[in-house]
Amino acid sequence: MTESAVKPTSPVQAPPVVVARGLTKIYDTGGSQVHALAGVDVEFHRGAFTAIMGPSGSGKSTLMHCLAGLDVPTSGTVHLGRTQITGLRDGDLTLLRRDRIGFIFQSFNLLPMLTAEQNILLPSQIAKRKVDQARFDHVVDVVGLRDRLGHLPAKLSGGQQQRVAVARALLNAPEVVYADEPTGNLDSRSGAEVLTFLRDSAKDLNQTVVMVTHDPVAASYADRVVFLRDGRLVDEVLDPTAETVSERLLKLEA
Amino acid sequence: MLRTTLAGLRLHKSRYVTTVLAILLGVMFVSGTLVFADTLEASYEESVMGSATSVDAIAVPEAPEGQDEDGFPLDPVPFDEAVLDDIRALPEVSEADGLIRGQAVLLDPEGRAFGFVPPAAIAFGEVSRLSASEGALPAADDEIALATSTADQAGFGVGDTVTVLDPDQEKREFTVTGLVNFGVDRTYSFAGALVFAPETIQEMTGAEGYSEIDVLAAEGRTPEDAAAAVASVTGTDVPTGAEFGEEMAEASGADTQILRISLLLFGVIAMFVAGIVIYNTFAILIAQRQRELALLRCVGAKRGQVFRSVLTESFVVGLFASALGVLAGVGIGALGARFGGRLVGTDATASVVISPTAVIIGLLIGTLMTVFSALVPAARATRVSPLAALRTSATAAGLEKGTGWVRVVFGLLAFGVSAALVGMSQMTRPDPAGLFIVTGAALVAFVGVVVLGPLLVRGIVRIIGVPLRRVGVPSMLAVDNSTRSPRRAATAMIALTVGATLITGYSVVSASVETTMTKQLDESFPVDYQVSAQYSLEDTGSAEDPGTDQAEAPEDGGAEGPVTEDDAGTEAAAEDGATDEVGEPLVPDEVKETLAASPLLGKVMGERSTYVDLSPDSGVPGMPVTAYYGAEMGVDLQGETVEGELTDLGPGKALITEDHADGLGVGDTLAVPAPGGDLDLEVAAVLETNASFWGAIITPEDFTSAFPDIQGDRFLHIRAAEGADPAEVREAVYTAVDEYPTVQVMSVAEMKNQFSEMMDIAFYTIAAMLGLAIIIAVFGISNTMALSVLERTRESALLRALGLAKGQLRRMLSVEAVLLCLIGAGIGIVLGVVFGWAASSAVLPGLVFSVPGAQIAVFIAIAVLAGLLAAVLPARRAAGTSITGALASE
Repeated sequence: MTESAVKPTSPVQAPPVVVARGLTKIYDTGGSQVHALAGVDVEFHRGAFTAIMGPSGSGKSTLMHCLAGLDVPTSGTVHLGRTQITGLRDGDLTLLRRDRIGFIFQSFNLLPMLTAEQNILLPSQIAKRKVDQARFDHVVDVVGLRDRLGHLPAKLSGGQQQRVAVARALLNAPEVVYADEPTGNLDSRSGAEVLTFLRDSAKDLNQTVVMVTHDPVAASYADRVVFLRDGRLVDEVLDPTAETVSERLLKLEA
Repeated sequence: MLRTTLAGLRLHKSRYVTTVLAILLGVMFVSGTLVFADTLEASYEESVMGSATSVDAIAVPEAPEGQDEDGFPLDPVPFDEAVLDDIRALPEVSEADGLIRGQAVLLDPEGRAFGFVPPAAIAFGEVSRLSASEGALPAADDEIALATSTADQAGFGVGDTVTVLDPDQEKREFTVTGLVNFGVDRTYSFAGALVFAPETIQEMTGAEGYSEIDVLAAEGRTPEDAAAAVASVTGTDVPTGAEFGEEMAEASGADTQILRISLLLFGVIAMFVAGIVIYNTFAILIAQRQRELALLRCVGAKRGQVFRSVLTESFVVGLFASALGVLAGVGIGALGARFGGRLVGTDATASVVISPTAVIIGLLIGTLMTVFSALVPAARATRVSPLAALRTSATAAGLEKGTGWVRVVFGLLAFGVSAALVGMSQMTRPDPAGLFIVTGAALVAFVGVVVLGPLLVRGIVRIIGVPLRRVGVPSMLAVDNSTRSPRRAATAMIALTVGATLITGYSVVSASVETTMTKQLDESFPVDYQVSAQYSLEDTGSAEDPGTDQAEAPEDGGAEGPVTEDDAGTEAAAEDGATDEVGEPLVPDEVKETLAASPLLGKVMGERSTYVDLSPDSGVPGMPVTAYYGAEMGVDLQGETVEGELTDLGPGKALITEDHADGLGVGDTLAVPAPGGDLDLEVAAVLETNASFWGAIITPEDFTSAFPDIQGDRFLHIRAAEGADPAEVREAVYTAVDEYPTVQVMSVAEMKNQFSEMMDIAFYTIAAMLGLAIIIAVFGISNTMALSVLERTRESALLRALGLAKGQLRRMLSVEAVLLCLIGAGIGIVLGVVFGWAASSAVLPGLVFSVPGAQIAVFIAIAVLAGLLAAVLPARRAAGTSITGALASE
C-alpha cells in the first residue's frame, strides 16, 4: 500500500536514491521483544523532500537511523544508490556517512568548541576533502550565515545553530540528507526559516532530503509525507498541507 | 537525604573507580610503610631480646671522658683479665665470659682485602649473648664463623675456606663453620665481623682485654642483683640482659624510624597527588550533576543538606577506598618485610605486625583526604540554584569563561616572589640554609602554577596546537577539546606536575653533583689510579697495623706509623699506648718504588698528611696539612683559587682552602705547630673549598722537616705515561701491589663509575618511590578523560554520525590525554630544572650545572606513554557507544 500510491505527476518520479525493502528492527527489552520496525518498504527519489511522520513510538527515528546506516536493522535491506548499506562493516558505514550522507539533528548538532565555519567544514576535514569555495559561499548565502561564520555555537540563536547544521549537511552535496526533528527545539519563526532553507535547497540544489518530524506544520514543507504506525508504513500524502497532515495523523492515532 | 546520596553512589559507582584507585594507592603506601617498619622493628626486637635475655647481665667498658686530638671521642678501654676474675668470684654470679674484639683482614675470593676497613674479629666464651644462626661456632684454631652480612657480601658460605691475614700479614686459612647474625648492631654491621675460637683470637688480632663481659646470675639471684654486683666491680653501668636488649632494640628502632619517615614522606606526596585527583573528580561530578542537585533543591533540599550530601558521598567513597588501601597496604608491607628486610640488614623472622596505628592512620588519612578534597566542590554544589533544573543546557557544560585578572596578577606575583627567593639563595655563599629558601621558592612557584594553570594550559595548547591542527581532524579536535575546560585540564595536569617536578629536580641535582665531582676530580687530580692502604678503625700504635709494618720502621715498635700526637694537647691519649687515634695506614714504600720504576707510569705522586692543632685546648678539630711528593702544584694538581695561584707555592709558603683560611689572605702568616719546629708560613694562595683539597698544602721539603716522623704516603696518585696501553698500565699497577693484599687500588675511571652507579641507584630508588605519585596522577588524567567522555557522549555520537571513524575518535582522545600529560610533565620538567639548579648551586660550591638530557627525554616518553594509557579506557568507551543510543539520550 505504499509505493503503489506514488502518483506520476509528482517530482518524486525521479529515480530512487534510497530504497529500503522489508526492514524490521526488533529490540530485546528484558523479557519482551519490541518490534520497532515490522517490515517497511520505502523509497526516496532524487531531489525530493520527504517527511516521515507518525505518533511517538511509531518507529520513525529507528527507520531513519537504519536508512542512514547509524543503526543496523534486524532484517531487510537498504540501498543507497547502488550500494547495499545493510551488511556493511562499521568502517565502511563510517565512510559512507562521511562521503555520501548529510545529517541534521534535533539538538546538539554543533561541536561547542568549533566556530560556525569550522562546524560547517568539519565533515570535509574529516574526509580530507577539498572544499569547493563557490559552493561554500553559495550554501552560506542560502542559509544567510555570512556574518556569523566566526562565532562559537554558544553565541548563536537556536535557529542560527540549526541553519549552520543545514549548511554543513548541504555543503558536500551528499546523495541524501537526513534531518531528525530539525525544528523540534525551535520557536515557530526560526523553525519556519530552517524548513524554508531545507525546502529551497532541495529544489535549488536538487538535494534529496528525508526528514523525521511529528509536527504537521513542519511536514507541510515537504513534497511528500509518509506515515508510520507500530513500525509499519500506513499512509502517504503528496504535496501536503498542515491540515491534511493533521487530519491523517489524527486518524492514525485514533 | 542519606538514602538519596547512597542511591546516587550506587548508580554512578563506575565514575568512582579511578578515584577509589587513587586513594587506594596512596593509603596502601602509607599503611604498607607502617606495617613494613613495624614488622622489621618487631622482628629485630625479637631477635635481640631473645639473644640478650639469654644472659643476665652485660658489662661493656665505658669510654673515658675527653677527646683525642682530632676531636673524636676516645675509645673505651677494654676490661682486663682481673676484672673478669673478680666478676667470676662474685657470689651473685655463677658464670661469666668475656668477648675479645680486635680486627683482622679478610681476603675476598680474588685475594684482595675485603672492605674499606678490616672487619671486626671477635671471640667469646661459653657464656655469651651471641650464638650461631647457621652451622656451629668455631671450636678449633682453623675454624671461623662469619657475620651473615659479611658472608653475603664477600660471597662465602658454611664449609668454604677463607684466608685471613694475621698481624704479621701472613695468610692463614680457616674453614667457615657457621654464620652469626649480628642484626643491625652498629659495632659489626658497618665493617662486618669474623668470629674466631677463643684460643685463636690473640694470635690473629693481638687484641687484649674484654670488650664485653656476659654474666649468668647465681642460683637464686635475680639478674638485677648480678648486674648491680658486676657494676660494683667494673665501676660502669651494667644493664641486665633484658635492659641491654631493650637498648639495642631502641637503637634499631631509630634506624627503622629513619626508614619509616623517609618512606612516609613519599606516602605523603602520593596522598597529596591523590587529593588533587579526588578534588578534580568531585568538581567534575558536581558540574555534571548540576541539574540533579538543582532538582533536589527544587523539591526542598536545603543548601546544608546538599553540602552534607556531597560530603557524605566523599566520606563513603573515601572510607571504602581507604579500607581497600589498608588491606593492600598490609599485603605490600608483609611482602616488603618478607623480601625487603634483607636489604636493610635484618631478616624479618617475626610474623607480620599489623598495629592498630597502621590501620587507623591508613583509614584516617585516606578518608580525611577525600572529604577534605571534596569540601570545595561540595561548597560549589550549594550554589546551584533550584532554577537550573528547569533550564535546558543545549550545549552541555559550555566553555569556561576567561581567566580573571586577579588570578593573573596573583599568579605572576607568586612567580615574582619565587624568582626573588631563588635570587636571594644564590647571592649568599653556598650554605645548607639556601636549600630551605629554594624549597620555599619552589612551593611558591607551584602555587603560581596552580593559580595560572588554566591560563598556562590554554597558552601552551595554543602554541603546540598550531602544528597539531595540521595533522588531521582528530588532533585538531583534541586541541580544541583540551582547552574547553582549562580549569579541569589544569587540575588534572598539576597532579602530574608534582611528580614530574620532584623527579626532574632530583635528577638535575644528581647529574649536577656527579658532573661537578667528576670535573673537580679531573681538574684537580688528573690521575688514572689511586693507591691507598686499607683504612683501619682500630689502634695503630701496636704491631697489628698491616700498613706500617711494611713501612720503614723506626726503632720503637710501639710508636711507629703516623704518629702525630707529639703536640701538647694529646697526653691523655698518649698515656695509653693502645688507644691513640684513628689509624691512617700508609702505602708500603716498596709499592711506590716499584710503581715509580715502571716505564708505563708517567707520574707517581705521594700524598702525606697530618692534622695540626692550631689552637690547643680549644677542642676544635685540627687542620689537615698535606704535602704532595713528586707533584708540581698548578701543573699536576690544579684547583680554582679565590686569591693567588697554585704555582706560587714554594718553601716557606702554604696554600690554604677557604674553609680553613679563617680570614687569612695572600701574604698573611699561617702559624703551624709542628714537632720538627713550628712553621711560620706565608699564605701563597687561598683555594676554593671543594672535595679535592682540604686544609693547608705545603711543600714536601717543609713537610719532611716539620713532621720528620711521617715517613710514608697515605695515598699514591698515579698518572699513566703518555700513550701507554691502558690494559698494560692496569697490569703494572696491580702487579706492584700483588704482594700487599691490604693495599687498595682505585682506578679513577672505576671510581667515577662507582660514584655514578651510586648516584644512579639513589636516583632510581627515589624515582620508583615518586613513580607512585605519577601513577596516581595518570589515574587522575584518565578519570578526567573518562568523565569528559561521558559528558561528551552526544558529541562523540555526532562526530561518528558525521563520519569520524572509531579509530579517529580514539585517536582524538589519545591526543587530548597525551597533550595533558605533556603539558603537566613539561611544566614539571621546567620547574624541576630551575629548582634543581637553584638547590644544587645553593649548596654545592663550584657547581657545574648539568641537565640530564637522556633522563628528561625518558620522562617525556613516559608522559606520552602515560597519556596513551590514560586514554585507553575512556577512548574504548567513547568508540564503543552506540550512535543512535547516544543521540536518543537526554
